[in-house]
Order: sequence, then C-alpha cells, then structure tokens
Amino acid sequence: MSEPTVQPVAPGPPAPPATPPTPPTPVRPPDPQRALRAIAWIAGTFSAIVVVTMLYFHFTAAANDPWKSPQLLALRARLAVEPKNEAVKEQIRQLDFQFRHQFRQRLARDRFGAWLLAGGAALAALVARKAAESTRTVPLPQSERERLGLPKERPTRARWTVAAVGGVAALVLVATALLLRTSLPADAAGWRRLAGQVDAAPVAALPGLAEVQANSPRFRGWDGGGWTTGTNYALVWDRKSGQGIAWQSAIPAPGHNSPVIWGDHLFISGGTTAQREVLCYSVKDGRLLWRRTVEKVAGSAAKLPEVPEGTGFAACTTATDGRHVYAIFANGDLAALNFDGTVAWAKSVGVMKNSFGHASSLAIWQGTVIVQLDQGESGSSDSKLLAFDGANGRPVWQQTRTVPVSWATPIVVEAAGKTQIITLSQPWIIAYAFNDGHELWRAEALESEIVPSPIFAGGLVLAISPTSKLVAWRPDGAGDVTKSHLAWTAEDSNAPDVSSPVGNGEFAFTVSSGGMVSCVELKSGTRLWQHDLELSVQASPAIVGDRLFVLGEAGAAVVLSAGREFRELARSQLADKFLASPAFAQGRVFLRGETNLYCLGPTGKDQ
Amino acid sequence: MRRISKFGWLGGLLLLLLGGVARAQLLFPPPEFESGYRMPVTTTPPGRALWLQYLDVGVLAACLAVAVWLIYRPRSRRGIFWLSLFSLAYFGFYRKGCICPIGSPQNIAYGLLHPSYSVPVTVVAFFALPLIVALFFGRAFCAGVCPQGALQDFFLIKPIKVPAFLEHGLGLIPYLFLGAGIAYAATGTGFVICRYDPFVPIFRLSGSFFLLAAGVSFLLIGMFVGRPYCRFLCPYGALLKLGSLVSRWRVRVTPETCTQCRLCEHSCPFGALREPAPPGAPAPIPGERRTLGWLLVLLPVLIIAGALAGRALSPVAARLHPTVALAELYARQQQHPVVYGVMTPEALALARMAEQPGTVLEAAADLRGRFRLATAIFGAWFGLVVGIKLILLSLRVSRTDFEPDPGACFACARCFSSCPSERVRRGLPVVTVQPPVPAAASALAK
Ligand code: SF4
Repeated sequence: MSEPTVQPVAPGPPAPPATPPTPPTPVRPPDPQRALRAIAWIAGTFSAIVVVTMLYFHFTAAANDPWKSPQLLALRARLAVEPKNEAVKEQIRQLDFQFRHQFRQRLARDRFGAWLLAGGAALAALVARKAAESTRTVPLPQSERERLGLPKERPTRARWTVAAVGGVAALVLVATALLLRTSLPADAAGWRRLAGQVDAAPVAALPGLAEVQANSPRFRGWDGGGWTTGTNYALVWDRKSGQGIAWQSAIPAPGHNSPVIWGDHLFISGGTTAQREVLCYSVKDGRLLWRRTVEKVAGSAAKLPEVPEGTGFAACTTATDGRHVYAIFANGDLAALNFDGTVAWAKSVGVMKNSFGHASSLAIWQGTVIVQLDQGESGSSDSKLLAFDGANGRPVWQQTRTVPVSWATPIVVEAAGKTQIITLSQPWIIAYAFNDGHELWRAEALESEIVPSPIFAGGLVLAISPTSKLVAWRPDGAGDVTKSHLAWTAEDSNAPDVSSPVGNGEFAFTVSSGGMVSCVELKSGTRLWQHDLELSVQASPAIVGDRLFVLGEAGAAVVLSAGREFRELARSQLADKFLASPAFAQGRVFLRGETNLYCLGPTGKDQ
Repeated sequence: MRRISKFGWLGGLLLLLLGGVARAQLLFPPPEFESGYRMPVTTTPPGRALWLQYLDVGVLAACLAVAVWLIYRPRSRRGIFWLSLFSLAYFGFYRKGCICPIGSPQNIAYGLLHPSYSVPVTVVAFFALPLIVALFFGRAFCAGVCPQGALQDFFLIKPIKVPAFLEHGLGLIPYLFLGAGIAYAATGTGFVICRYDPFVPIFRLSGSFFLLAAGVSFLLIGMFVGRPYCRFLCPYGALLKLGSLVSRWRVRVTPETCTQCRLCEHSCPFGALREPAPPGAPAPIPGERRTLGWLLVLLPVLIIAGALAGRALSPVAARLHPTVALAELYARQQQHPVVYGVMTPEALALARMAEQPGTVLEAAADLRGRFRLATAIFGAWFGLVVGIKLILLSLRVSRTDFEPDPGACFACARCFSSCPSERVRRGLPVVTVQPPVPAAASALAK
C-alpha cells in the first residue's frame, strides 16, 4: 500500500560504554509491530468465530431438514389416512409457513455472517500487511546464489519443467478421454439406430383391431375386460373321456401368468431364481415350439429381489402386438421376443420395492407397451407408469405416480374421445393420456391394497375396493373427479381381493376368493343377485357370449348364465391347480394350471 | 517460516469451515398447492439499463487512464493501491465480477462463429480497452483495474519467490485455459472461463462449494505467492501478456539510467524483474544451439501431435455441451434404463428429450462434428504454446539493465521505491546498505 519505510542505517563510531550508577528500571517502549500483530490475530480469530457460527447454523439447519420433520411426516401420514381432514391440512399449512419463515431468517443470518466475515478477513489482511511491511528488511544487492558461489541457473531446468507441465496436462486429457467412455455412437448408422430409424430388419406393420380382437393379446383378452362375444365356445368337457379337451401340455417353468394367444402361437412365461423365460406353444396341438431364457439384460440388478413363492418371478402375463411378445419379470427385466424366439430387445426397469413381488401384467396398445410399476410408499415418487415403443424398446414417455405398491394391471380404453390408460392404486383411479402420458383425471375411490384390475364396461370404469365395494366412474372428466363423476357405488363386503370384475354392457359380475358371485346392474349399480359357489377362486371370471365362466382353484369350472337371475348351467372338472385367468381365442379356451396347459374346445375327432 | 505456517494453519481451517458452510446450503422446494393454484411463471429480471452499461465502460476507461497516469507520471504505488481498491469495490463487489474482461474473449469467439449472436458493444469495449492499453503501456489493467487481481493483491502479506523454472512451467496453464475457453465458447457449449471464475462467488458472497473453496484457496496461497490466479491461470492475463510483450512504452524500475546497484533485485513479489545479461555475453554454446535446432524441428511435430490428440479427446470434451450431454443421457438410458425420481434434472431432461429425440440427436451429432474441429485446433494450440515456450527459453537475451519482463510485469509499481534514483527524485531517504550477514541460505546450496 504505502511506500516501504526503509530505515537508513548510518554506520558511525560505536558509542562509549556507559556505566550507570544504578540499574535502570526497564520501561518497555510501545511496540507498534506487536500491536499490529495482535490486531491481525484478533481479526483473524473473529473471522474464524464467524465462520464456526455460520457453520453451526448451517449444520443444524441441514440436520433439521424440514421435510424430514417427524411432526410433518406424522401429519402427512395422518392426511393420507384421513384425506378430508381439514384440521390436519391446516396444521400442515401452518408448519409449512413456519419452516419457510425460518428458512428466510436463516438466509438473512447467512448474509449478515458473510459480510461480517468479509469485514474481519479484510481487517486481518490489512493489518497483517502493515505488520509485514514494517518488518521487511532491505534485500542485499547480491543474489544468494552468487553469494554462495553457485553457478547461474541455466534454461535447461525451465525447459524440462515446461515439457513436464505440458506432458502432465496432455496425460490428464488423454486419460480423461480413455476413462470417460461415451455412450453415443461413433458412426452415422449408430446415430440413426439411436434415433429409432432402424435400417436393419424393418418391423412389420401393426395389426388391425379386428385381428387384435380375434386373438387374446394380453391379460384377460384384447381389452383386459375378460369378455368375448363368441358363441362357439364349448365350456364343458369330460376329464375322464377327454371329450372337450383339445390338448394338454406340460409346463416346465413355474408362473401364475395367463396364456396369451396370437395366431398359432400361445405364450406364457415362467421364472425361478435360476432363470426367467418365455415359452411358446402351438395353438393347434400344444407342442412346445420354443423356450427362451431372458438373461444378461443390460442394467439388470446382479442380486435378485426376494420374492414370495406365492407370487414368483413370473406372475405378470405377457403381451403381444403380433410382431413381438413382451414379458416382464419380478426382477424388473423387460424383454421383447420375436415369434421365432429370438430376443428383439431387452432392458431392465429396475428392481421394485415390492415385498410381495411385482405382479402387474403388461398392457399393449397400438404397438406401445405399457408398464405399471407401482412400488414403495404412498407419497413417494417410486411408482411409475412407463410406455415403450414395442418396435425397438425406446421409452416413449414415463409418468411418476405418488401411489403405493399395487398389483393391478392397467387397461387402455377409448372413452370421451380420448385413448385413456386406466390405472388403480390405493386410493386412486387415475387415467392417463395414451399418447404422452399426461394425467387426464383421477378419482379417490379405493380403500386398501389393490390387486384386482379395472375394467371398462357400459361406458363406465369399474374398480374393486377389496372386501368393501365395487365402484363405477364416468371417464369423461378432467382433474379430480372424485365428486363430480362418480356413477355409483355398490357396497359389498364380499368384493374380491384378488380377482377382477367382468361386465357385458348390462351387468357386472365379481367373484370373491371364497366363491361368492355377485351380479350388479351396470346402469344403476343395484345388486341383482349374489350366490355362493362354495369354491376357492383366484382366477378372474370371464364372460363368453351370454355365459359367465368361473374357474375354481381346485380345477372346478362353473358356467353360469350372465343374466339378471342366477342360473348355473354346467360344471366340469380338471385335475390341476388354477390361479391364472382363462384366455379365449379362436373358439377355444386356454387354461394354465400349475403343471399343465389346457386347450378346451373341439378335439380332432369332434371337428 | 513459522509465521507462514501459522497463517497457513489458520487459513486452512477457514477454508475447511467455509467449504462446510457452502456445502451445507439447502434449497427450499415450492409449496405443495392443492389443485386450482397455478404457480407463477418464472420471469427473467430485466437486463441492466443501457446507460448503466455505458457507465461501466466509462468507469473502465477512466480507471485505465488513471492507472496509466499513476504508473508513468507520479509512479505511485499508493495511487495504484487506492485505484485497485476502488476497482475491487466497483467491478468486484458492486458489479459482482460481471461484467469483466476475463471472460470477454469467449463472447468474441462465440459472436464471430454465431452470426445470430451480436456481441454487446460494452463487452467488445471490455475486451478491447485493456488489450489496447497493454499494447501501448503494458498491463495497466492488471495493475489497478482488475478486481480479481486487486483482491489477491490485498491479501498478499509475505511474498515468497517462486523458482523461475516453476514460473515458466506453470505459466503455460493460462494459455491452455484460454484455448479451452475459446473452444467451448466457439462450439456454443458455454463460457467455462466465467463459470469457473473462483472469485465471483466471493464477490457475490455465495456460490458453489467447489468455487468458493477454490477462491478461498487462491486467497490463502496468495498470502505468500503473489497473485497466483493472475500468474498461473488467468486466460485474459495470457492475452495481456502477449500484448505487453510488444508494448510501445514499458514499465521501468528506475526513472533515469540504471546504475546497476541491484537494490531492486528482490523487490518484485511476482518474479517479474529480470537481471541484465552479463556484459559481452558469449555466444550460445554449441549444445544450446543444437537444442534450439531440435526444438525448431519439434515445433511442427508438437502441433500435429496436439491436433491429433485433441481430436481424440473430442467425444469426451463434447459432453460438456448440454445438447450432447442430453443425448448421452438418452443413449445411456436406452442401454441401461434407470428410473429417476420425480422432477429430478435427469427425469425432466429425458421428458424434454422424449418430445423430439430425433432433433436432439441430430443436433448432438452435428455438435460432435464441430467438437472434432474445435478440439483439434485446441490441441494444435497446446502444442504451439509448449513449442514456442521451449524455443523462447533457448534464445539469448540482450538486456543491459535490471528491468521488468514486459509480459510478466503487472505494473504494480512496488519496485519503483527500491531504486535510489527514484527515491532521490521523490525526496525520500536513500538506503544505506548493511554489511552482508554470513550465508544462511544453505537450502539453496543443496
Ligand atoms: S512493477 Fe515492478 S514490482 Fe510490480 S510487477 Fe512490475 S516488476 Fe514487479
């Protein structure tokens, strides 16, 4: 700052030694340097104290993250249980306001601290400079090197240093280039592939609706509703004579998923901790055409999730669009296979936070695979709804759902002029737009964990709140339609906790796990009849023309009249255990038992 | 040395604590409104009024003029000090380190290659004025106008000498940073020189942990090593250095003839003073000549090798560009899908990408092509800088007086008062020299 104050040293004759008569009292002259150093230390210490204080406030603030406040979490949990409790909402609002107020106060305190710190540091530096200046000694007009008789420094050392710095910089850059691998392609073809402009193996055109309806491309038929209009289905058979059983074929891989049929191909999946696979049978004669293990999927977790045996690794039904068959397993592996059993693409959607194992089946619509991944707690953002382009596996969109774990399968419906994806998870029925995944409407309807899937019947979306009620919502609303679009509620303590409802435009039927069949009028929601079949039932019921088909766990198949009055038309029996829902296509019924696959319909002799 | 270690200890503690403070910063999410409330759209605050921008340019020009006058007329260190404090207050704490010439080469490079971007006149002025002044008067901007330099200078307490060979080696870094900054600006990636300015968070009293820690580190080091950022990192300083090398007028220690008393020899805290070549210095020895010959041959090799290595670096370098980074994220997602949390940057980016994947990928592919060229040029520049530096170190110097190296001198005016002629001129007492103390610098002998 100031010009250095250099004290001139005047060499003169030394002063004669003085011999004072008495020893002088030592009086210390004021030492400005000491004072400066002391001020510098005080200012430095003050700055350190300011920093420590700021640090303390920051750490306590970080530790007391308002979003993890037990008080707030408790209130939110309460609100989840009592969503309409205004007092709880008010308390949350007040707490939120308090947190925000504290946050602003903290910001102001930080700012004040920063200025204090700047002031303290500036003072410390200023005084330390002054102290350093006053102690600066005048350099000697001779370099130390010369004084020590060392040779002059030659440029060799500087050159080597320049080369070394350049070399190190180059090495760092090259090492970075080698270590940070890019996922982007190196050639034009790779870019085209990444953009989905697949130039190899063109994908076949999508099938028309008629072809889709003639097959059973997903869980519970073409639209997931579990109904078929065909009248040529023989729903009775004789186990002993084999009449009415076209073929049966052993299943070598365990799984609770239902058969999916397209043309002459029947697909199921199976899975254990050892391997997950897709199996393809001939619809004509039940021959196992191929089985393909889904393995080495990119991004798949090395450690398999713990899945209860009751659910297994292959609880989700496959889906097909006539070009590929798609399968998902409890470890999150999602694969598309060609009809010859080769893998078209495979990816992992991640291991799910689902202690009972993932069981929501895939939905398929116009070549897009819909994956409902409900998991974790309510309010978390773990749950997702994903859409993939079936042709190449490219994600089309993804939507986060703040819902807890569920096991329901989504359906895709054309309603209110829109293609809607209907999903269920406690407590919501939520509809999403098929094209971009944005939420269309939601209704608060469900009270416990959800396994039964929704259906669309008589222009209404039907959902089961297990052991509580069957509800119906009109699908033409927007936003929260809980109050505005409820069509009716049919209270029913026998509402199933596993199987899904079925409807035919006039009536809706449900079958509880204990075999209680209920019939509700779709127009009004009035229960018309209820009858106990005295069966244990896990598979969802189906409507075939004017008949209701109920498949018991122990192999009993009951045919009822799908009408206003209860009427049992027939009963048949198979010797197997049935948890999977039946599939109907080409005038035949396909059942997956624990050990065998069954095709019920005209046998070779019958034809 | 003991005092240095004490200061260092305290400083280190401060750095650690400050780092902790910065890291502990929290963000507060918006309230969870129930349906019906629409969050207001975030608006960008209006830009600085035009007259205020011109005021900035006026202040810069005036400060440069005052700095030149202070260096060449009264030759006043005190004046330079007060001017630098004013600049620190105005360009640093008031203008928050923006606008400043350090990042301006990037605007110029971006503007030259992207016709849709017209470089603001104020930015052109901030880029050009210090450079023009350097071409005539040396680094007057560094002396008293640059807030970054002023801040470091303010904290310089006990300067130690950086060995010359290290000074030469580390002196390469500003040129590399300049090359990288221009390459990234030219490709439209962003202004990395501004983004990684370690002092801007100090001027703003807030910022990321990394930058705050870097800024505080520079200040702590700067207590003992004069202006470490200016000497070993500042990219604009590298440009000013080149300008000053050919400046019309140069800073001189003595106002008159150098008597070679050598009293100024250790007065520069930045190692910018050069001693005269010994009278009748011999011609370079044959070994040196051979080295020079080899270095001249090596120069094109370094340039070509640099260009090739730079090209190989392009895929990684391109990842700093937001579009390429998005494409990279997308490609990774295709290969190893990851479910990202709600409203996370990745989830939002992927949602954005999902709207027009083809367009983004096309732009990313195009950018990768541009990066191949940009990084090749950067690599060649790297090779050129290293080669030229090696050659310059092998050339003979002809210097008759003790004088500052025009490139390295910040024109801070510290050395002036150590010259007896200058002291006589100012009427200050002249130094009388004490007899030499027996050697204690055994460290040098090792
Ligand atoms: S003016 Fe003197 S002290 Fe300041 S940088 Fe230049 S040579 Fe060093």
